[in-house]
Amino acid sequence: MELAQWFCFGILFTLMSAGLAYLSIKVKLSWWVWGALIISCLLILFGLAWAGASFLEGVAQSGAIALICFSGPGILAISWIWKRYIRPQAANLSS
Amino acid sequence: MTNDPSNINQDQEGVESTIVSEKQSDQGTDLSRRTFFKRFAVGGGAALLGGGATYAAGSASVEGRIAKDYPETNEDFKPFRQKNTTLSYAASPVLAARDNTRMEQFKKLHDKPADYFWPKLFQHFEHNVPYDNSRPGFTQLDGALQHASWMPWANWSGPKGKMLLFGGTGVPNTPPYTWDQSDKHENKHQFTDAKEAADAVRSAGRLFGALRVGIARNDKRWNYDPIYDLTQDKELSWEKDFPFKPKSVIVMVVPMDYDGMATAPSRVSAATAGIGYTQMAVLAGAMKHFMNGLGYNAVGAGNDLAISGAYGIMAGLGEGGRNNCLLVPGYGPRVRICKVFTDFDFEDEYDQPHTWGITEFCKSCKKCADACPSQAISHSTEPSFYPDHERAKEPGYNWSNHIGVKKFHTDAKRCVDYWLETDSDCGACIASCTFNEPDFWHHWFIMAINPFTPKLIHGLMAELHPAFGYGSTQNPEKVKKFWRTGEGMRVNKHNKSTFGTSNIS
Ligand code: SF4
Ligand code: SF4
Repeated sequence: MELAQWFCFGILFTLMSAGLAYLSIKVKLSWWVWGALIISCLLILFGLAWAGASFLEGVAQSGAIALICFSGPGILAISWIWKRYIRPQAANLSS
Repeated sequence: MTNDPSNINQDQEGVESTIVSEKQSDQGTDLSRRTFFKRFAVGGGAALLGGGATYAAGSASVEGRIAKDYPETNEDFKPFRQKNTTLSYAASPVLAARDNTRMEQFKKLHDKPADYFWPKLFQHFEHNVPYDNSRPGFTQLDGALQHASWMPWANWSGPKGKMLLFGGTGVPNTPPYTWDQSDKHENKHQFTDAKEAADAVRSAGRLFGALRVGIARNDKRWNYDPIYDLTQDKELSWEKDFPFKPKSVIVMVVPMDYDGMATAPSRVSAATAGIGYTQMAVLAGAMKHFMNGLGYNAVGAGNDLAISGAYGIMAGLGEGGRNNCLLVPGYGPRVRICKVFTDFDFEDEYDQPHTWGITEFCKSCKKCADACPSQAISHSTEPSFYPDHERAKEPGYNWSNHIGVKKFHTDAKRCVDYWLETDSDCGACIASCTFNEPDFWHHWFIMAINPFTPKLIHGLMAELHPAFGYGSTQNPEKVKKFWRTGEGMRVNKHNKSTFGTSNIS
């Protein structure tokens, strides 16, 4: 059963890659914003994977802290990038 | 629109331009779709490559690096006399009565009553203190588990039957660890090469229940010399008494249950160690008979014959920790070690000591020392050749310490004293260890990056371990949790026994 976690994260990872590829043809961002965006996405996935394993091993506290410590900063960084750099180009996203 | 010809032209142009712009837009869509798939493929491929490389680097890291500097010894180092182990002394009424100065000194230094005498308590170890059904971890339920875990040992009959419960004290030549070679096959099996032999031995060990199997050369430095049989109060020599001249030592570790050990110190953690001893006997006994069946001499050993931790390091299975345990990657100190001495020569297939940065980590982490209820574990930052615990300077106090080898020395006398006081074999230094983890990817990830992390980060990692919810001791909730770990065992879809976790929050 534990290995099912890897399968789920494979799907999430694929979706993340697709999302970033889509974004790359819709908006223009400088290299360091791309770097921050990719790292943030990986942080979110890392926190989720850690939390999944922690819940499976029965140490919920570890999972909760991982979400706060890893996924949390990732979400904050993406929100900021979105607001500051992507939303101004929002018209491109739907075209 | 109008019928004006000029308008017709205009309309035609408009239609044409619409067609052109639709074509352009189709081309644009195709282009962006193509760009999307291209970037998705390139980005995903790069990420996969990066992930693969990270995984390969992590796998290489958990293999460890050869530790060329182990062991560091000085001129005071010599093989350890088994008679001087704390457990030999504590379990032998004859030895303790003959050399009562050690007991007297301990009583004086630790404010013990005048009639305090370890062997008297040890004779009934784990049966000295009545059950307390109001105290989680020390109830009849917990006690029944503790006693049952040692059953095969306790029940063995024969001249040493009564002493088998004390097998963990290092009594040699007991039924599971017999020196008898009468079932040795007359034909010596010939392997194609040493690699085939080592693989066969490791495969047999895996089948018999070993978590890891390493092969070390027989090394006089780590063999008890002389060996001591407390049941006869007799010292035994490797040359005259041991049935053959060993060449190799097969070192195997068995895992201990994560949730059982997490209850430390309690009768449940004692049961976790107890069943570990039982499994050691099965494993080493089976391996001894396997080697005998191949036509070679072999003797299994639990805590007897040699210093298990040192052989574990020599066989490349782990590193020495502050708590004086072998710390095995992925499990930390939550293992028990058994050995099989044999005259089979593994030629160039011997394992070597390895490092994963674990002893280095111990310099910054003192979690086991903080958790030890008897203050038996050193808080010193650096390992040393001599013990440096609180009583280390008292004349004659260090009789049970193996001096002259660089390591973290403990005061095992305080440890045994705490065991006798609580009627359990504690284990808080195992449960609290930063490397004591269930078998999940994120712990392996930490293990893999450990050798590359600076000292400052080690201290932070040690602090984060309890913050993330691991390693607490003296926690009644852990006992309650343990007694629910049987839920779902009919199907056991989370492989609890393998992953070493209860999967219950
Ligand atoms: S078993 Fe308990 S008393 Fe002994 S060293 Fe470990 S923590 Fe201390
Ligand atoms: S708790 Fe820390 S100091 Fe103690 S053995 Fe484990 S890693 Fe080393």
